[in-house]
Amino acid sequence: MIGHAILKEMPLENPFQDPLRFERRIPECAVVIFGANGDLTKRKLLPALYRLAYERRLAPGFAVLGISRTAMTDDQFRENMADSVAKFLEDSPFDKDVWSGFAQSLYYMAGDIADPATFSNLAARVKQIEECRHTAGNVLFYLSTQPSQYAAAAKGIGAAGLVKGNGWRRIVIEKPFGHDLASARELSEQLHEVFHESDVYRIDHYLGKETVQNILAFRFGNGIFEPLWNRRYVNNVQITAAESIGVEGRGGYYQEAGALRDMIQNHLLQVTATIAMEPSATFQPDAVRDERSKLLRSIRVMKPDEVLENSVPGQYGPARIGGADVPGFRQEPGVAPQSRTETYAAATFFVDNWRWAGVPFYIRTGKRLPKRVTEIAIQFNSAPHAVFGENGADATPNLLILRIQPEEGISLRFLSKRPGAGMKLRPVSMDFNYGSSFGERSPTAYETLLLDAMIGDATLYTRQDMVEASWAAVEPILNVWQNQKFDFPNYAAGTWGPRAADEMLARHGHTWRQP
Amino acid sequence: MSTTIQPEKILRELSELWVSLGKDADHGQESGVLRACSMTLVTLVEEAEDPTDVWSTMAALMPEHPSRAIVIRFRPSAARELASRVFSQCWMPFGHRRQICCEQIEIMASDASLPDLAAVVLPLAVADLPVMLWCRGARLVSLPDFPQLGKIAHKLIFDSVAFPEAVAALAKIGDCSRSGQILGDLAWTRLTRWRGLVAQIFESRKYLARLPEVAEIRVGFGGTAPPAGAYYLAAWLLDCLEKVGARARVSWVTAPDAAAGQLARVELLGGQALRVSIGVTGDREHQTAMVQVDSLSNRTVFPPDNDYILLREELSIPNRDPVYDRSLAGAARLAQARN
Repeated sequence: MIGHAILKEMPLENPFQDPLRFERRIPECAVVIFGANGDLTKRKLLPALYRLAYERRLAPGFAVLGISRTAMTDDQFRENMADSVAKFLEDSPFDKDVWSGFAQSLYYMAGDIADPATFSNLAARVKQIEECRHTAGNVLFYLSTQPSQYAAAAKGIGAAGLVKGNGWRRIVIEKPFGHDLASARELSEQLHEVFHESDVYRIDHYLGKETVQNILAFRFGNGIFEPLWNRRYVNNVQITAAESIGVEGRGGYYQEAGALRDMIQNHLLQVTATIAMEPSATFQPDAVRDERSKLLRSIRVMKPDEVLENSVPGQYGPARIGGADVPGFRQEPGVAPQSRTETYAAATFFVDNWRWAGVPFYIRTGKRLPKRVTEIAIQFNSAPHAVFGENGADATPNLLILRIQPEEGISLRFLSKRPGAGMKLRPVSMDFNYGSSFGERSPTAYETLLLDAMIGDATLYTRQDMVEASWAAVEPILNVWQNQKFDFPNYAAGTWGPRAADEMLARHGHTWRQP
Repeated sequence: MSTTIQPEKILRELSELWVSLGKDADHGQESGVLRACSMTLVTLVEEAEDPTDVWSTMAALMPEHPSRAIVIRFRPSAARELASRVFSQCWMPFGHRRQICCEQIEIMASDASLPDLAAVVLPLAVADLPVMLWCRGARLVSLPDFPQLGKIAHKLIFDSVAFPEAVAALAKIGDCSRSGQILGDLAWTRLTRWRGLVAQIFESRKYLARLPEVAEIRVGFGGTAPPAGAYYLAAWLLDCLEKVGARARVSWVTAPDAAAGQLARVELLGGQALRVSIGVTGDREHQTAMVQVDSLSNRTVFPPDNDYILLREELSIPNRDPVYDRSLAGAARLAQARN
């Protein structure tokens, strides 16, 4: 009772915090990872947590408890993770001193999500760790498992009473969040039987990228762009997420998902929302997410007879690139020889609100395209009158390019006079490269997102209504594509996709720009 | 050495430099050079210092703080002497096709020409961007005409470790602060890692609730007198504890294993066995910190203690840092009291 009284009276602010100098600090907590022996844990999660330890961002009262079906001791888990962290750290040193401290916070237990005993054992282990590591009862459950196990895991956590404790309890899940609107809703309902929506963190690692976050800084931190950011000045927006590689051993998964589900439904519609959303009144998580959600709900849902005119699926065929033979999608391991899965998807979306009415948002993504690049190009209207005549190239519109990867930055294309006699204009590019491109190390998306989840900042996480709105936008396309027979393969590996994608833009008088 | 410098001539040379860099890049089939600048960074050094040290720090800083760098090398001489040269520093970011280049100007000056320097540096500063002045030597700060040059800077950066004696250093820097100048002291910057760990410990509600119990701050250091960093740390802790109503006293403890002038340990002690300590061992390149909170211990490493790491942080804060200003005032009081 005395302790409780002190807690009530105590200052809520940590007087030692110095936001000008320190990064955000994580409160004490335990991270429970389901699927701890899997690839995501080894390649992304543990390296990100180690990196947070290296940056002195983790509290002394911190622990990780890994769970998977493989039998292993705590020490074996620590050894395995040491190898993985050393191997998969990006741009960072592996420091043995830091590791030895961090490794002490790693624990492991074997268990099967389908077995109820796993969760009663987990409850006992979490309690034990809370006592010896002083994690204050805060627990972050991370489901790094097959999506089909999400509901069972949440149910098991609830049944074992693990959702209640001395501190907060949150759950992180990875995409896909359902395979259509109905299954997305069903998954949310199953999670909500145990967790409140505010404690469900749906991770979209695209939103964790520094440069995607920089879009917000660029739009809302500067006064000069926002007045131009509307249908009066913007002619069209093109979002490209191209991969030069194929499915790289993920043929089995990819065959079930396809490009539309794998990229557009989640990552690229979230990027679209970031580009097109209204400014939020504050940078509070729900204020930002409300605006993203409103934008996603404003995307015009295509009628079945509009789908083929406004979307194009593609599948790559074999080709010879750089002197080497490259297999087509149907020749990839794990892919059916007659697979109808799209490895390319392009769509024209319209946002039905005052700001964007009539402005097409062209989105495309694909495997085995000529280069790996993700960027957003905002094409402005041409000058209203050609003062300089035909030689002036007045028709070349201004273009603002927000580059997400691999060269993060912003370019603005405008016209300039060519040196010499006469008034001949030519487009020039004014480039800005972000700090990360200048050499400063940027945190990985998983570092950012794990840190946010432990702090309780859901700004960069996807909320249920956002997931449902984006499914509502892509589901009509999926439905039509499913019942249509396309002549696959319809683009050669190493090209910019099927000709039908060019025709889709040509119908609006536009062309894809070459990234 | 000549006795005059024409800023216009230096600016013309810089302009020619950019044209030639662009031409070189064209010949090399590159995609041109990208000129980057976020500030003017003026560095004052003694001529006797190895210039390689300074320029390598500048080179390391350029990717994150691209700037027009002006290094002024002073020689103790009563004759008025000034000379200059301009050059550029370029680098190719990994995976990019375009070089990024920054301008660098070196000015050789005698002590006697210090009054002339403000008029030289001012036109060389990049328009609309802050001017940061990093003074590496304690002797230069003591020159009578130093304040005149200091006035052209948005922010002055010292390192009180370079001063022979911490009490005098804090008094001198305190004087500058009272004149309204925005200041940075690398001895304070070195404490960010310490302060961050302390802040991290008290993110725990359990420990935060016990903070008002802290009755003693124990600071351990190498040598016979506390370094400026020890005063800063104690002053900052006192200031923060005051916000939660804790009235703590400061104890100074000699750490026999630590080198003279090195901050080695800090402890927060209170009733009912509250015991928080951070102890640091190692050299400037690799320091290991052991954090002990009651029975829980944790080990971590500090980033290397070098000019590049410290300046990188200090240059990121062009405006006034109220936490530093309060700690400077408190540190000066503690130093005077102990003296």
